[in-house]
Amino acid sequence: MDGKKKSSGQNVIETEITMGPVHPAALEPYRVRLFVEDEIVKDAEITVGVNHRGIERIMEGLPVEKANSLTEKICGICSNVHIWNSVMVAEKGLEIEIPERASYIRVIMGELERLHSHLLYLAHGNEVLGHETFAMRIFYIRETVMELLRMIGGNRVQYGVSIIGGVRPRCELDEMRIQKIKEGMDFIEEKVAEFADRFVSDPMVMSRITGVCPIPKKEALRLAVSGPTLRATGVDMDLRRDMECYDPFDFDVITLEGGDVKANLLMRVLEIPESVKIIRQAIKNLPGGPITDRTWEMQDTGVIKSYVEAARGRLYHSYRLEDDRVRGSIVRTPSMSNIGAMQYACIGHHITDAQLGIVQCDPCFTCTDRAIQIIKL
Amino acid sequence: MEASTIIYSTAAVIGTIIVAFIISIWLPGIERKFVQARIQQRIGPPISSPGIMAPLKFFFKETINPNSPLPRLYNALPLGGIIIVFFILLFLIPEMYFLGALTSIIAIVGLLKIEEVIYVFMGSFSRSIMSLSMPFPDIIKGAAHPDIKRSFLEDLSSLRAFRLIAFGSFPLYIALFVPVAMAGSIFLGDIVLYQQLNGPVLFSVAGILGAIVFFIGYMILLNEYPFAILKTKADVIEGPYMEYAAKYRSYTYLTRGFLMFTLSALFSVLFLGIPPNILSWGILVNILVAILFPILSAIMSAFSPIFTFKQFYPVAAGVSILGVLAILATFV
Repeated sequence: MDGKKKSSGQNVIETEITMGPVHPAALEPYRVRLFVEDEIVKDAEITVGVNHRGIERIMEGLPVEKANSLTEKICGICSNVHIWNSVMVAEKGLEIEIPERASYIRVIMGELERLHSHLLYLAHGNEVLGHETFAMRIFYIRETVMELLRMIGGNRVQYGVSIIGGVRPRCELDEMRIQKIKEGMDFIEEKVAEFADRFVSDPMVMSRITGVCPIPKKEALRLAVSGPTLRATGVDMDLRRDMECYDPFDFDVITLEGGDVKANLLMRVLEIPESVKIIRQAIKNLPGGPITDRTWEMQDTGVIKSYVEAARGRLYHSYRLEDDRVRGSIVRTPSMSNIGAMQYACIGHHITDAQLGIVQCDPCFTCTDRAIQIIKL
Repeated sequence: MEASTIIYSTAAVIGTIIVAFIISIWLPGIERKFVQARIQQRIGPPISSPGIMAPLKFFFKETINPNSPLPRLYNALPLGGIIIVFFILLFLIPEMYFLGALTSIIAIVGLLKIEEVIYVFMGSFSRSIMSLSMPFPDIIKGAAHPDIKRSFLEDLSSLRAFRLIAFGSFPLYIALFVPVAMAGSIFLGDIVLYQQLNGPVLFSVAGILGAIVFFIGYMILLNEYPFAILKTKADVIEGPYMEYAAKYRSYTYLTRGFLMFTLSALFSVLFLGIPPNILSWGILVNILVAILFPILSAIMSAFSPIFTFKQFYPVAAGVSILGVLAILATFV
C-alpha cells in the first residue's frame, strides 16, 4: 500500500474506538485512538504520557555515577543498554579507555539483553495473535536468557553491569559462568530453530501475519523508524557496525523486505542466531586482564552525545558534566521514533490487526514517556 | 398417567439437570488445566478454579452498578442466558418429549438463536469506562479528529454478535439438520428412535461430516479461540461481558459451562441417539462427550491464532458447505 492511500486526516470517518491507557493487549499504559469504518482503521493516533516519571529532570544535578544508575530505571526490558550508553557518554567526555575485557563483557550483556528483548517481542507478538501456546513456549526459551542475565548481573531486570571505566567487579566472568553461557547459547539456538520451523510452517499463523500492516521502505525512512523494525523494511542499517566495541566480532546484519508483521517477527527470529554468534565469539576470545579502570579524573565537559543500537533501535543519551554533576540530560529511546510507524502501520487494516501493527514496531512506551510538551492554550 | 411414572419422570428430569450442572462446572477447569496448560508447558489453574471457585468467589463479591443505559436489563441478561440453556437441556431429556413441538429441532434452533441475540444486547447495553469514559487530554491537545463519534469497545462486540447470528453460527445449525434429514423428522423423539433402530447417525458418512461441522459450530457458539471474535483480547477484550461484576459475572461463567454440557448433550441426542437421562447408563456417554468436546476444542484453540474476519469468513463458509454436503450425503 502506498503512502498516499494511507494518508491521515480523511473526512469520512465513521467512528472512533479508543483503547487504553489500560488494555490487556498492551503491556504498558498508552492510548490509541483508532478511527474506523466498518472495522477498518482509517487513521490512528497514539498518545503517551501516562507513565511520565521525569527521569531526565531527576538526573539534573546528580553525581554522574548516581545519574547513570538512574538511567537503568528507564526501562525494565533494556535496562542494561541505558546504563551502558549513559556510561559511554561520560567515558567519551572524560576520554576514558576501558579495558578490553570489560568491553567484551558489556557486549555479552548487550547481546543477552537483545536475546531477551527479541524473545519477549516474539512472545508478545504471538500473544496478541492469540497464539498462547507459541507465546508460552517462547517464554520458556527466554527463561534461560533471564537466568544468564541474573547470573552475571545478580538481577533479572536491572543488572548494574556497566560503570564508568568498565564493568562492576561482581560481573566478572569466571569459568563456571562461561560454561553456563555456552550451554545457554546451545539451548537457545536449538530451541529457536525448532520454533522458527514450526512458526513458518503454520498456515494459520502465516495467514494472520503475511501482508498485515506493512511499512514500505520509503515510509520507514520518512518516519525515521529505527532498529529491527527498519531493517524489516529492507534498510540495511545497524549501529553496531559503527560501534567500536563490536569491531572484533563477525556478524551479519539481517534485512528483510516488506515491513509487515511477518517480516518483523521473522527479523527477530533471524537476529537471535546473530546475537548467539557474537556471544560465542566474545566468550571464545575473551581477553584477560582487569575489568575496570578507576584511574580517570572528573572534569567539566561540553554536551556529549552517544548512540547505541539497542534491541529495539537507536538509543540516544546526552549530557554535559559540570562540577562533577550531570546537566542537561536528554534520552531518546527507539520507540519514540517508531511511534509514527505504529500509527502508519494500522491504517487500512482490520481493527483486530491494529494491536498487531503497533506491536510489530516493538514499542516500549514506558521507556518513551519522558519528554513532555507544554502547549499554551 | 400413573403416580409412579410421574415420580420416575420427575426424578429423571431433576437428576439429569443436577448431574449436568455438576459436570458442567468442572468442564472449564478440565479444558484449561488438563489440556491448554499441558500443551503450553505451564502449571495452569487448579481444576476447580475456572468453573467452580471463580463463580463462587464472584457470587459473594459486592455488586456494583454497571455502566449501562439499562443496568437492570443488562444485569438480567446472563440470568436469561442460563435459563435458555436450562430449557434446551430440559427439552433434550426423553421424559420431556411429550411436549411435542418444544422438543423439536426448530425449538432448539430458536432457543440457541435467543442465546446469540443476548450477546447483541449485552454488547449494546455495556458502556465500560475502559473505552470511552476515561477523561484524557488528547481531545483538547489538538487531536487529529476531535469531533468524531466515539464508540465503545462493546459496540464493536455487539456488531460482531450480529455477524455471528448472520453467518458465524451457520455451521452449527446446518449440522443440526443432518440427523433431521436422515430421520425424516424434526422431533427429537423420532431422531432418537431412528438411531435406536438404524444405528447412530455418527456411523455414516453424512454423520461424520455433520459431526465435524457441529464441532466447529460448537466452538464458534462458545466463542472459543480461534473463533473468539466477540471477546478477542487484542481488540474488544471481554466484549459483552465487560461490565458484569459480582454475581452477574458468576452467572456468565456458569452459563458457559452449562452451555458446553448442553451442546454436548445435543450432539449425543442427534448423532449418537443417546439422550441425557440420569436413570439410564447412556448418561455416561453424555458425560464422556461433554468432556471430550472441551478437550478437542482446547487442543484446537491451543494451536491456532485468533481469526479475524479474513480467516473467519472462509472457515465459516467452508464448514457450512461441508454441512450442506453432509445433508446431501444423507440422500445417498
